[in-house]
Amino acid sequence: MNDKVVLKISNLHKYFGELEVLKGVNLEVYEGEVISIIGGSGSGKSTLLRCINGLERKNEGDIIYEGEAVKRDFTKLRERIGMVFQHFYLFPHRKIIDNITLGPRVVKRTEKEEANQQAYKLLEKVGLADKSDVYPAMLSGGQKQRVAIARALAMNPDIMLFDEPTSALDPELVGEVLLVIQQLAKEGMTMLIVTHEMGFAREVSDRVIFVNNGQIAEMGTPEEIFENPKDEDLKRFIQSIY
Amino acid sequence: MTQFIESIVAFFEVAIKFAPKFLPAVGLTLQLSVLSILLGTLFGLLVTLLKLTRLKLLESITNVYISIVRGTPLLLQLYFIYFGLPKLGLEFDSFTSAVIGLAFHSGAYISEIFRGAINAVHYGQEEAGKAIGLNRFQIFYYIILPQAVKQAIPALGNQFIIAVKDSSLASVITITETMLIARQFVAATYNPFPILFVAGCYYYIIITLLSAVLRRVERRLQVNER
Repeated sequence: MNDKVVLKISNLHKYFGELEVLKGVNLEVYEGEVISIIGGSGSGKSTLLRCINGLERKNEGDIIYEGEAVKRDFTKLRERIGMVFQHFYLFPHRKIIDNITLGPRVVKRTEKEEANQQAYKLLEKVGLADKSDVYPAMLSGGQKQRVAIARALAMNPDIMLFDEPTSALDPELVGEVLLVIQQLAKEGMTMLIVTHEMGFAREVSDRVIFVNNGQIAEMGTPEEIFENPKDEDLKRFIQSIY
Repeated sequence: MTQFIESIVAFFEVAIKFAPKFLPAVGLTLQLSVLSILLGTLFGLLVTLLKLTRLKLLESITNVYISIVRGTPLLLQLYFIYFGLPKLGLEFDSFTSAVIGLAFHSGAYISEIFRGAINAVHYGQEEAGKAIGLNRFQIFYYIILPQAVKQAIPALGNQFIIAVKDSSLASVITITETMLIARQFVAATYNPFPILFVAGCYYYIIITLLSAVLRRVERRLQVNER
């Protein structure tokens, strides 16, 4: 982690109809930083993540990437920011290798051979080197999620967003996915992780954000958040979990 | 008893005698079917794409087209193209008219099949495509369309089968396809049963073969499901 701000979220507002889901969120993300976003269901933490790469259209405020505010088109930004979903969303009609190479080949126009080589390396990294030629339906949830991570990494992103990456997994499969994310953290990847795995958040994060009622209610180091919470709702939230 | 057997023998004698005489007409039925299926599919896909542009004008045009095709009988549509359009200065020979009419007709139904299949692809697929930086067109081409086609195959198969049978309506605009030739043979022999039997057999064979092909395609595309 260093002191270069790669991503700045400024006064972000998001409405779903009448309902204001995000009520002016401000956040600066430093290069190499791992931020965990925690909070109750419906607090707006996933929406916050999805606004960053434009999967949800913000209603107000700015997403500023490397000093430049993103206007309407998020396509370019999405090449720089990878995302991993709760339900993986692998492409069921493409083999694992083709899931991973689709982005590089279509968006970056990488040659097939080169894209494949890179994909094999990524599969090795997530421990699935032997699965390159099967279809997603053949994999367990944990394996699918690891492929999804490899697919996002194939674009060589600067930032990775994780939207509850282990919430849809059987308990015994959570560990293998967290291990991969942890490895990424060690390599210095900038990451924002929406998670309910508090032990993991505590271990891997540089900063933890507690989102409540559409706002960042508290932000701090894992120690500050988990051992010395100030916000009343955060205290209750942490109690309810441990 | 002997009389019964004799009548069966007579039945098949007529059937066997006339079966080869159907072949040119069956050829026409096949041509009409294949062309209406191919053009209808292309047309249906085009209409679906126009709808997906989300441009109000294009969308209303396609809606009008679909509602007219679905709201009137094919028989009337064929009459209109063959007898009506020449009055407006648009004249086609009977085969072209039939192909246009049949393709136009199946196109409307096929576009609805595609629309349903596209809507049935989980929205997460689109999001995953966006997340790796694909644009709308790339998402549609590489992610949505292949999955939608797969979903659409059973319903498309049905529509193709209907298209084969619908081609018999081309007989009303003077095309000597299977049904018209059957009627002519009936008129000549006053012996409808064996002749209609032969016509039925030809349709049955065509459709059975078509179904087999469709089943194969479906199975092929299902490889990746488990």
